[in-house]
Amino acid sequence: MAAPAERPINVYRVHPLTLWIAALLALVLQPFLPVVLPAAHLLDLPLLVVIYFSIMRRSKVFGTIFGAALGLAEDALSHGFLGMFGIANALVGYFGAWGSIQFDLEQFLGRLALTSALVLFHTLVMSGLRHVLVASPPPLELLDLVSIVLLNSALAMILFQALDRFRRPA
Amino acid sequence: MSKFADQVRQGAYFSESRGHDTLLEIRSPLTARPVPPRVPEGPQVVQAFISQHRSFFILLAVLMAQLVLLSVQVTRDRNVPLAKVWAVSTFAPVERGLRSATDGISGAWTAIRDLGHAQQNERELNARIAADEAEIRELSAKASENDRLRSLLDFKARAGYSTVAAEVIGSSPGENSNAILIDKGADAGLKADFPVVTADGVAGKIVAVYGHSAQVLLITDPAAGAGALLEQSRVQGVLKGGGRGLCRLDYVMNDNAVSPGDKVVTSGLDRVFPKGLPIGTVVEAKDGNIYKNVIVKPAVALNQLEAVLVVVSKGSAPEEPQARH
Repeated sequence: MAAPAERPINVYRVHPLTLWIAALLALVLQPFLPVVLPAAHLLDLPLLVVIYFSIMRRSKVFGTIFGAALGLAEDALSHGFLGMFGIANALVGYFGAWGSIQFDLEQFLGRLALTSALVLFHTLVMSGLRHVLVASPPPLELLDLVSIVLLNSALAMILFQALDRFRRPA
Repeated sequence: MSKFADQVRQGAYFSESRGHDTLLEIRSPLTARPVPPRVPEGPQVVQAFISQHRSFFILLAVLMAQLVLLSVQVTRDRNVPLAKVWAVSTFAPVERGLRSATDGISGAWTAIRDLGHAQQNERELNARIAADEAEIRELSAKASENDRLRSLLDFKARAGYSTVAAEVIGSSPGENSNAILIDKGADAGLKADFPVVTADGVAGKIVAVYGHSAQVLLITDPAAGAGALLEQSRVQGVLKGGGRGLCRLDYVMNDNAVSPGDKVVTSGLDRVFPKGLPIGTVVEAKDGNIYKNVIVKPAVALNQLEAVLVVVSKGSAPEEPQARH
């Protein structure tokens, strides 16, 4: 992973329709999947969409705003407070864009490492917010944490490959 | 004049640049003298700093706005209903459509698979036996569904409560998702705090009602609670969600005898759940400082909920409200 000054940085764009469809699909499928597949409650599709588009656009402002917007929409569909996913996803969007400038994400391993780190970070932020806001929050077990990171990272690598087909150099 | 113009062109009278705006000081050749470099003033420094760290300040602003939103909700002890009503009203029909589509695809797939099996069997044995087998499979699937619905109906008849049947169409996002979305709402006469049950026992209670859907907080959610008692010993306690698919029975004194396998039922003291509904079974009971630490496994398989009953009246079952579809 070279330093930013030592390598050219590719910036990509997608058609706005792709962005909207990906975001809406993630929001629609997120509550639906666990009904047909209980294990899917560990997945966070809107989070993966935020990670992908923030690292692709490499813009911290875009990552922050896109993350906050998608997080707030996720909050509105959840039974929790409005703003919890918003805060966590805004932070993920910001640091995703930051990481995409710092590290070479054209390589599979770089992308996997950053995605895993961001999923872990998101889970810890959400857990922290729950501890602050919920009277008796559920404990965050190590096994759950590992499962969440592994499952989401694995799905992200498949999802990102699919979304890469829609991007073009800016 | 031409000499002055030449001097301007050569930059003799450009004094300094500030940000994007180039400051040009043009003096008469008679009064022109070297201009000392100007030190940036306070506001300019702040402006330059903010401009340089624009993305960070935007992040800060976004986080602050959401923290304010959170603090408003926490101090008022309720969520922002309007945004949730909009969001759920927008997405619930899509979820319902997806559910129907999935059921349709699943049915079609089963039919195709059965057909494939039938053809294979036809080659191996004969068409009649294969068709009978397919029919038996279909009938047993229907019988299984009938059993499930019958148990709900039996429960409905036995309980003597007025209930509304609803289908699960979604779950709340997040890995600690302990809420579900059902396909009946205000249109079916549902209101917040109505108990939600299945033939096996208590599932949760309604926390938010929308036009054609409602959100149910499952009893395993840390925010959920119910008055409970042990069926055999009649020892009372307060049941709370413990996350990870389990519940806790709080405020049971160390002196009281509790052992794994004991059945826990609703006490009716919370004025939400009717008395005597099964909640679950004790799986662990240890002495604490004053109260026992009692872990309860719910009687209902909450991660496999498909259909539920909402208790709309706890008295003797009168006319059931008609649900509009």
